[in-house]
Amino acid sequence: MAMREDGSMRPQSADSALLRVEDLRVEFPKQRSLADFILGRQARVVKAVDGISFDVRKGETVGLVGESGSGKTTAGRAILRLNKLSHGRVIFDGDDVSALDYQALGRFRRRVQMVFQDPYSSLNPRLRIGSALAEALRFHEIVRDNEIRREVLELLSLVGLDAGMAERWPRQLSGGQRQRVGLARALAVRPQLLVLDEPVAALDVSIQAQILNLLRDLRNGLGLTMLFIAHELNVVRHMSDRVVVMYLGKVMETGTTEEIFERPRHPYTQLLLKAVPRLVPVKRQRAPALEGDVPSPLDVPSGCRFRTRCPIAQPRCAMEEPADIVVSVTQKVRCHFALDPRVASVMTNSDPYANRRGE
Amino acid sequence: MVDRSHSASASLLEVEDLRVEFVSSRGTLVANRNISFSVAAGETLGIVGESGSGKSVLCRAILRLLPSPPAQQTAKRIAFLGRDLMQLSERQMQEVRGQDIGMVFQNPMTSLNPVWTVGDQISEGLRIHKGLGHSEARRAAVRLLRQVGIPSPEIRVDDYPYRWSGGMIQRAVIAMAMAGSPKLLLADEPTTALDVTIQDQILSLLMELQRATHMSLVLVSHDMGVIAETSDRLMVLYAGQIVEIGRTREIFENPAHPYTEGLLRSIPNVGDKERQLTPIRGQPPDLARLEDGCPFAPRCRHVSADCWTADLQLAEVGDGHMTACLHPERIRLSKTLVDVEQ
Repeated sequence: MAMREDGSMRPQSADSALLRVEDLRVEFPKQRSLADFILGRQARVVKAVDGISFDVRKGETVGLVGESGSGKTTAGRAILRLNKLSHGRVIFDGDDVSALDYQALGRFRRRVQMVFQDPYSSLNPRLRIGSALAEALRFHEIVRDNEIRREVLELLSLVGLDAGMAERWPRQLSGGQRQRVGLARALAVRPQLLVLDEPVAALDVSIQAQILNLLRDLRNGLGLTMLFIAHELNVVRHMSDRVVVMYLGKVMETGTTEEIFERPRHPYTQLLLKAVPRLVPVKRQRAPALEGDVPSPLDVPSGCRFRTRCPIAQPRCAMEEPADIVVSVTQKVRCHFALDPRVASVMTNSDPYANRRGE
Repeated sequence: MVDRSHSASASLLEVEDLRVEFVSSRGTLVANRNISFSVAAGETLGIVGESGSGKSVLCRAILRLLPSPPAQQTAKRIAFLGRDLMQLSERQMQEVRGQDIGMVFQNPMTSLNPVWTVGDQISEGLRIHKGLGHSEARRAAVRLLRQVGIPSPEIRVDDYPYRWSGGMIQRAVIAMAMAGSPKLLLADEPTTALDVTIQDQILSLLMELQRATHMSLVLVSHDMGVIAETSDRLMVLYAGQIVEIGRTREIFENPAHPYTEGLLRSIPNVGDKERQLTPIRGQPPDLARLEDGCPFAPRCRHVSADCWTADLQLAEVGDGHMTACLHPERIRLSKTLVDVEQ
């Protein structure tokens, strides 16, 4: 049983996984430059996603977090077969998605929908909002033709827009309204799983909260399962039951939201959390949580890929890639020292509240 | 009313009654109105607001960087180091921009010229404003890059910008701004385009530079967390006007404007378990169609009849704490909503 943040339990047997990702890899060949050609260098490969595994159970919201270059968006797209898998499997409700034929793929895409950061770029500027929604309903044959209009209005009200919105053009909408329309269109086909890629990153703070509350209401009302991809840790914490933390194409740590935010065991998770500004009005006096940049995905460090920025890295980390260490039924950590007391000390030394104590 | 949140004698920058209009085919859009505030030597003033609140326009107006037309800028005065910037010629303004006031803008990638080396771009300012020779300027550029935390600066100084990450480029832009040893640094959303760990590095760097040089900092952000961790005082902008200003801690603990309260209630906090979000209803106003009265009235939880007609003025509610709200007593932000008790 998985513990939710509110302490309630929900079934967790592997069979109830609606989505299972197994050793997923997505590689992009990098074109050889003229210099590469002259020097006889082989074409190199960017391993955007380098073997990740996790599952999402029915009714659950899983947060996928990471910085740019972590591969979180590529992973989300690969799950919907919008990117080609190089290796591994995506299993949705028992079926291997990569093996689906054209017709089965159509059925799959009705059950899984994606919501993008900026729905404006995915809305046809020459279609009124009502027509855009009607098109989705007609294409996927969701309702009979004479029921389409009623269904469009129902969808609009579901996402908190009034009926007049059906007559508007995409350019007349604000960012928040567009994201509501993006949601309505995803919901039009009555999906079971929503993959949301940075759904609130482009919105103003006051509008973000409106959309987050709407997403929570929809999830509870419709029993939706969600894969919530975001770089904002506060938003992920707010939305997720479980969290998957990615770095340079690999999963560093997974756990319940409480485990990840209260008892993170991977040094990367700990330092990532430390880097987030708190709503505590005290001027900072600390050094940054993490030095340096994420290494290039063309040049991934040997062994543990986080070792070049890790404050507790040992010679072993360069030679041996860590395996998952099981900390609890729900928490897995890819660090040699996940159970080592030294790791705990990373967190103590970098206690986010350290410079605020003793006031 | 003049901002008196700190003693006026120590003011480095004093802006009085600034107004910026943009004239367009849709009519006249007032991007900044009744803006009066001051920045003390060595302090950080945080400016928070959403898109369209006028915060970027304000930064550019202080430096008189807004092209006219379409912008029309008026102010009683913008006093800086005893001079009124409104009275200076363009040539004199260039001196001020290069030396006394540094600036860092949001998108670091567009702040550097891609066909010049980073070192050349930093030393250009040093040669023009400080009259340094070529090799002297280069040495100074290396020193500045080291100061902003670029590893092996004596080698990287000859790199072209494309070889640098977004975080390194923002450091280089900060180095350029620091080249004139400014007394004031204007940073407009300096970390918005960056990853959270890189944002963390840049914020620590800015704080460190401020401690080392005692410069004043005006830091614009839409992120209340960033403002909380960096500013001494805070100014909240809405629809081009100051709706609240005061000491940051005081405003976080006792917000006196419903918009500030709304912002604080609508942010999920990474340190909180189950925080209920109370969004601000409605949409930000269209600046071209602002009506009389309080611009926040259509979205306000505490609105009453007088809000629709009143002429808004900042009024003092505490020591140096001012609000444009007619009814600040209606705001009872439960302190547990903001983890100030840490």
